Formats: sequence, C-alpha cells, structure tokens
Amino acid sequence: MSRAEPGASRLYHRVVVWLLFVILVLPLAGTFLYSIATEWSASLLPSGLTGKWYLQLWADPRFLYAFGHSLVVCVSALLLATVLILPLLFVVHYHFPKLDGLMNVLILLPFAVPPVVSSVGLLQLYGSGPLAMTGTPWILIGCYFTVALPFMYRAITNNLQAIHLRDLMDAAHLLGASTWQAALLVVLPNLRKGLMVALLLSFSFLFGEFVFANLLVGTQYETLQVYLNNMRNSSGHFNSALVISYFFFVLVLTWAATLLNKDRSE
Amino acid sequence: MSFVNVENLQKHFAETPVFKDINFSIERGEFITLLGPSGCGKSTLLRCIAGLTPVDSGSILLDGRDLVPLSPQKRDIGMVFQSYALFPNMTVQQNVAFGLRMQKVKAEESARRVAEVLHMVELDSFAQRYPHQLSGGQNQRVALARSLVTRPRLLLLDEPLSALDARIRKHLREQIRAIQQELGLTTIFVTHDQEEALVMSDRIFLMNKGNIVQSGNAQSLYTAPADAFAAGFIGNYNLLDADSASRLLQRPVHTRLAIRPEAIGLSLSGAQEAEIRSHSLLGNVIRYRVEARGVELLVDVLNRSAADLHPNGQRVSLTIAPEALCEVA
Repeated sequence: MSRAEPGASRLYHRVVVWLLFVILVLPLAGTFLYSIATEWSASLLPSGLTGKWYLQLWADPRFLYAFGHSLVVCVSALLLATVLILPLLFVVHYHFPKLDGLMNVLILLPFAVPPVVSSVGLLQLYGSGPLAMTGTPWILIGCYFTVALPFMYRAITNNLQAIHLRDLMDAAHLLGASTWQAALLVVLPNLRKGLMVALLLSFSFLFGEFVFANLLVGTQYETLQVYLNNMRNSSGHFNSALVISYFFFVLVLTWAATLLNKDRSE
Repeated sequence: MSFVNVENLQKHFAETPVFKDINFSIERGEFITLLGPSGCGKSTLLRCIAGLTPVDSGSILLDGRDLVPLSPQKRDIGMVFQSYALFPNMTVQQNVAFGLRMQKVKAEESARRVAEVLHMVELDSFAQRYPHQLSGGQNQRVALARSLVTRPRLLLLDEPLSALDARIRKHLREQIRAIQQELGLTTIFVTHDQEEALVMSDRIFLMNKGNIVQSGNAQSLYTAPADAFAAGFIGNYNLLDADSASRLLQRPVHTRLAIRPEAIGLSLSGAQEAEIRSHSLLGNVIRYRVEARGVELLVDVLNRSAADLHPNGQRVSLTIAPEALCEVA
C-alpha cells in the first residue's frame, strides 16, 4: 500500500509481516545451521562449521537413488495427470457442463479418505491377484495421480472459466478451425498458467509425500521421504543436510517455474 | 430472390420453443438489426445462422444455397461477439491472421490483407500488442478486423457494443456502419438498444418471445408501432387503455392508444386543464410527468431556454395532433 498512513499503524503492519516471516524462517534457519555444524549440543552456538554432512549426503548412492525414485514417481504421476486431465476438462466444460458438479464431488474423495485408510484399502486390492503391484513404483504413480487430481482439476477449471471457452471455440470455428485445431492452437496455450500452477503445487506436495510411499512401497522402491525416515537413527546433522537439500531443490524448482511462467508480453 | 432467405426456421431448447416459423429475407448489402429484449431469441437466431447452434427445421439460404447442413467452418460467415472472443495468447496481428492461417493463405498475402483491415479499423500501430494491453473498444475493433479479413459473405454482430462505455459505443457504431457501407457487406446486428438499432440499420426486425413482431425502417418502426409491445419497447410511448384514452380525448375510443411524448404540445396559454407533476432534465430534452383529466402522460419538450423549464404544480394546456395518435392492438 502506497497511500500515506499514520506512522504507528504502518509500523504495526510491518511488525506483523516480519513476525510471520521470522516464525516461518526460524525452523529452517535452525536446521540449516545444524546441517553445517561440526558439533552443536551443549553450547549456545555450534562449535565449528563444516560442509562434510552435505558431501557425505551427496556421495551416498542410496540417497541419490531415493532422490531419483522420487523424481521418477512424481514426474510420471504428473505426466499421466496432464495427459488424462486436460482432455477430460475440455470435454467436461465444452460438451457436458453438467458433469462439472459430479467432478467436484469426485475430486474431493482423495481428501475425504485419510491416506492411512486408503492405503490399507489399496494394499488389499493390489496386494495379490491380477493387479499385484504393491512394492512397485506403479502403484505409487497411480496413487499419486489421484492425489494430484484435485489440484489439477481446480486450478485448470478456474483458468478455463476465465477465458470464455465457448466464445473462443465458436470464434475459432467460424474462422475455419476444426475442433482439434481450436483446442490445440487457441485453448491449450491459454491454459498454460493454470497448468503450471497446478503442476507446481502437486509436485511440491507429492515430492514430500510420506504415508502412501511408506505403506504401499516402503524400502522396495525407496523415495526421498522414506529414505529420510529410515535414516532417522543416523546423525542429526546428516538428516538436517538432507532436509535442507530437499527444501532447496523444491525452492529452486518453484522459482525456475515461476520465471518460465512469466508472460512474455509483460 | 433475395441474398439471404430464412424460411420457416424453428428452434426448441428441450420443451421450450425459442422461436418458431421465422421468415425473412435480406437484400445484398443491407444492414439488418434484430432488436428485442433479452430472452426474445434474437441471439439464438444469430447463432443458428452462424451454425453454432443447430436448428430443428427450416432453411437458411445464402445466395441461393442452404446453410443448414453446413458446418460453421464452411458457411463463409464472419461474427463478432459481445465478449470480443479474441485469442489471449496471440498478438493483434496473429488474431487477425488466424482465419487466413486456417485457409492456408500465403504469408505475404496474409500480411498484406491483415495490414489492410487493421488500417480500416485504425489500429495499424497496435499489431504487435496483446489483447490484454488494449481497451475494450480497441479489442472490439480487432475482433471486427478479424471477422472482416476472410471476406465473409455475411457479417453477424452479436451485441458487439454492449460491453463498452457510452462514448466509445457511439464512436464505434458509426465506424462499424461506415465500414459496412464501404464494403457493401450484408450484415445482421443483434442489440437490445433501440437507439443503436434506429441509428445504424437499413431495416429493423423487432423481436418478442421468439417472433418477429414488426419489421421496417427506423422511421416506420418509430412512428407506427404495430402493437403494444412495439410501442412499449421503442421510444417512450404513452400507452393508454381505451377508457383513459376516451377520458383524455373526450370522445369514445375503442382500442388502446399510443402517443409519443414529443408529439404532445405543452403551453401556458389556453384552458390549462393539465398540471405538471414532476420533471426531469435529460439534457436537450425536458421530460414532464403531466396529469390531465385523471390520466398521467409523459411529455417531452425541447430545452431551448430557461423559459421552457416550468415548476412542478404549474397548470398547462396540452395539444395532441390527431396524426400523433397511434392505435395499437
């Protein structure tokens, strides 16, 4: 706000914002400090600084595998979600607007059932029989797809409603475009923003997902969070380095995606 | 045979009829306005002509060929929407060129034709902008250019001015009319604004509840409303039932009467049987609410000087020319 405010209230607003920022940053800063400390137990400040925990972490093949596994599972789930949900949204909003109500109920299901409960159900269903895939990344990809669905559906729906889908399609049709051409040339490019937001949100959520990963797959296809859990008995400094690396990765990814997503025209 | 012939066109949405037995014809180069209140079926009729909404039965002949079995892509019709419907991911240039791109027109020719229409709508210097960087009026001109560039045989305008503010609206309607006349383009314009309809059109089709209740040029529509709906929708007619009309005119009247407020004379001389109840200043016109013999009338007086402004409660005389009385069913 640029308009002139009385000094006292401006000070108050600033204090609130900074306080919130400090509360959010404090645990991260503490973890970071711990991850670069040689020893930090009985003193107020660490006794020395070192990068050895990071070196140790990034030299551990098990960590690198877990990191890779997480990436593979998340990216596949999101690819699947994009390929399935984009055409679905188009069909729902263009041809069957009434289905939107049904979809809004359906996408709440992954939230309505707690992960611990649904994973027990999934274990029963996919533990044996023709679709025995517990312990493989496949079940995790399928499961993460359902978790990503609500984020994707809502974000892209908002985007679709903002662009007057029907008028755009009508205009493109009258100018000679087929429905396919109109969808690819006119509608899809305008969903980029909603899609990027949805993908980012889902990615950071799925990358940190633990319950499904641990219960459905566990150590057979160790993801980052499961690895972190299995390392809980090792050095706290090592674990802090892991958490900070993980956080930093998501931060850089988010920042890069935001940069890419900036409007070329602005 | 006319350029456009619409014959026995019918349309239902579920069980509700939108319009039935629509028949009209349009000459080449004519500017036709479909005028009516919202929900009268005028926009649906336009969408049916464009092929965006299927019809139940009937035919739409354009230059002798029935459009009904053709897809919108093959109808050779240009359309401008109330929401502009510009493609947000494309520049003005790309938006306008889209139709040519679909027709696989060569790059040089496309560039030349785009420049030509952008010049026509006075947007030459905006070619590289995106729609969100333009004002509403500019966006609608881009949409107009986009629909003109493919040289359609018929141009449809679906309330193109409704989302714009008053000043831009007046300017743009003159511009649309000038371009239409310059190109000799057969045009159907949909609006609920009677002033737009009266100013722009060669002929007006007045619609109500899925029927064309009256068609004709601005003059005939304004001075000779066909029924009570037409009188109520166009102008600010005083609509009197037979009883009130008999009392006012002091002779037996057997139908409803419509009297235009500017056709009633108001003066301070004479019998002074009427009294001014209230007035509002509309600018160049003063609109009085006058009571005469228990009948309330609107009377418009040209605001020539301060002397034309009478206080409320003033006794006045009214004169009504016999030819201004319009009997309506």
